[in-house]
Amino acid sequence: MPDRAAIVDRLTTVFREVFEDEALVIQDSTTADDIDEWDSLQHIVLVLAVEREFKVRLNPAEVGKLENVGAMADLLAARAA
Amino acid sequence: MPLDMVDRTRVKDGLARARAAIAAGTPGAGLAILRETTGAGTDFLDQLRAARLVDGIDAAALGLRPIRLAIAGASTLDHVVPLLRYWLTIAGFAPTIHLTPFDTATASVLDPASALHDFKPDVVWLFTTHRDHALQVPPGAAPETLRDAVARAIAARRALWDALRAKACLVIDNLADLPTEDPAGNLAGAAPWGHRTALRLLNAELALTAPPGVVLLDLDHLAARHGRQRWHDPRYWHHSKHAVAPDSSGVLAHAAARLIAGARGLARKCLVLDLDNTLWGGVIGDDGLAGIALGSGAAGEAFVAFQAHVKALKDRGIILAACSKNEPATASLPFREHPDTVLRMEDFAVFRAGWGNKADVVRDIATTLNIGLDAVVFVDDNPMERDIVRRHLPEVAVVEMPDDPAHYIAALEAGAWFEAIAFNAEDAARTQLYAENARRDEHRAGFVDMQAYLASLDMVAATGGADPFHLPRIAQLIGKSNQFHLTGTRPTEAEIAALAQHPDWTVLHIRLRDRFGDNGLIAALLLHQQGQDLVIDTWVMSCRVLARGVEEFTASLVLAEARRRGATRVLGRYKPSAKNQIVAGLYPRLGFVPAGEDGGAFLFSTPADRDPWPSMVQHDA
Repeated sequence: MPDRAAIVDRLTTVFREVFEDEALVIQDSTTADDIDEWDSLQHIVLVLAVEREFKVRLNPAEVGKLENVGAMADLLAARAA
Repeated sequence: MPLDMVDRTRVKDGLARARAAIAAGTPGAGLAILRETTGAGTDFLDQLRAARLVDGIDAAALGLRPIRLAIAGASTLDHVVPLLRYWLTIAGFAPTIHLTPFDTATASVLDPASALHDFKPDVVWLFTTHRDHALQVPPGAAPETLRDAVARAIAARRALWDALRAKACLVIDNLADLPTEDPAGNLAGAAPWGHRTALRLLNAELALTAPPGVVLLDLDHLAARHGRQRWHDPRYWHHSKHAVAPDSSGVLAHAAARLIAGARGLARKCLVLDLDNTLWGGVIGDDGLAGIALGSGAAGEAFVAFQAHVKALKDRGIILAACSKNEPATASLPFREHPDTVLRMEDFAVFRAGWGNKADVVRDIATTLNIGLDAVVFVDDNPMERDIVRRHLPEVAVVEMPDDPAHYIAALEAGAWFEAIAFNAEDAARTQLYAENARRDEHRAGFVDMQAYLASLDMVAATGGADPFHLPRIAQLIGKSNQFHLTGTRPTEAEIAALAQHPDWTVLHIRLRDRFGDNGLIAALLLHQQGQDLVIDTWVMSCRVLARGVEEFTASLVLAEARRRGATRVLGRYKPSAKNQIVAGLYPRLGFVPAGEDGGAFLFSTPADRDPWPSMVQHDA
């Protein structure tokens, strides 16, 4: 079983790179509403960056329906399992 | 380490250095670093980072050329916009980009009150893909059915082109990319009714019939080179109507920016080449004529292929120069005596072999050719030499060469440095033109008296207006002139054609020939009568003919036009730019007197009844 905390750590790195904010902290409850730059354009960039980091292929529509970072981490954990 | 890993490390290092340079208040240096370390193939996320860095720079303050570009497409292009802004800035523009709302392309073009027209674009990019053409015909349909469908598709494109050309915009339209999958399989491209057959016919017809002012971007070639399965990602077509996969946006933006650079005179003009291990394998001074790799064996064949590629660049107007650390007689030996050489000594406009610092030699080559360093591409297999040139001449494009000569052509092509939108007789003869100029310089060395030298050149000028033959050349010369350009105007071909019809305007061109050859079209002017004044709105001249009396001849020509129009005064304008200091003193030198300022331009006047200027240039009436 992959380490879920490690997944959130890697996601944090990706989020910091994509939104260019070294101090950005994300939690399971973080949603697009919490990050100003997280619009539909940046969402696609984010998905591409997550795909690169976790070496998976995601469906951008599916990811768009995830309600928060926690759901994204769950999805990645399930994919890695 | 895999190749792309090397690239990402290099890009990350470049981004860090560029960020530091921009933070240190040297944005020009930052741009140069980014130009050297990022390319079309750079990772999409890294390109976005580079683009964000550049978005923080005031491009206009750097003296980059303003351009207003509108993009009208029926697919989602939002990810292309920041990258296009990035690549246009790298190419030398200060861009402003307008993207029409999703799927409003046709309405935006045809409605004169649309936001697109309000934006007043210089360039409109009609972003079409294969989905925008209704070219499907039923399986088994007759060839005429398919031809008719193609003809209708072209008529639809023409309606849009004409609406934009009427506004004097440069139009970019795409050749259709071919779909990756097709239910007809191989027949899609092999049957007379196939969808790929139709798209290929459409693309060929577009290339054969596109009018002046319409530039075609070969989208299908881009897609194929990049790999169709990466070019289009069905997930993003269904999710957000991206016809081009978001992470292929950079490839597309880079290609479009280089094409626009070519259309607007910002393409590179000169290729400076190292010799040993660049144009042949080995070191001619050590290995000798029989020992270098050229022509036999795989390595030798790769160098022959690279030479043939370079020769073809020269044949389409790129100036070649050699820059080698060698004794001159040794360096030229392969070009003179090797049976497999493709390049010959006469292919080089300038040939420099010696032991000097290559940065100094490249600068000297640019001075000799009278071109800017930002028109030069430098190719050398030696990373040390590349580094020296990069460090000292950041304007020069230095190609990162691979170890294997088999990949030299791809490395040079990747930068798309030499994109052009047309080809004319002067392009074919360009190296010869520059070589003739070098002979003029040698000839001049034999004269102490400048006037005697000029008289000995037997210069004859032929003059005229914007006839169909010269119109595109006039537009091309005005578009690419930076140094001898008094006001920095960039009218399009259509705008010049319109001025030529206007009673208050005169369009003039000058061709010059002399005892060494025909220089072709060397000057163009747009003159505007405003009451009693004849205003020199635009005056450009090729720097090849600088200080040979053509300036005086031209001034006299303007004077004659002023008198013909009944004007009492000739009013010259000088608008300083980052590159036109060379003409800052032109009007005072011709005896014009200061006459105030107007919108950033200095005005100079001279009475229309003054004497013409003496010149050794004869007028071929």
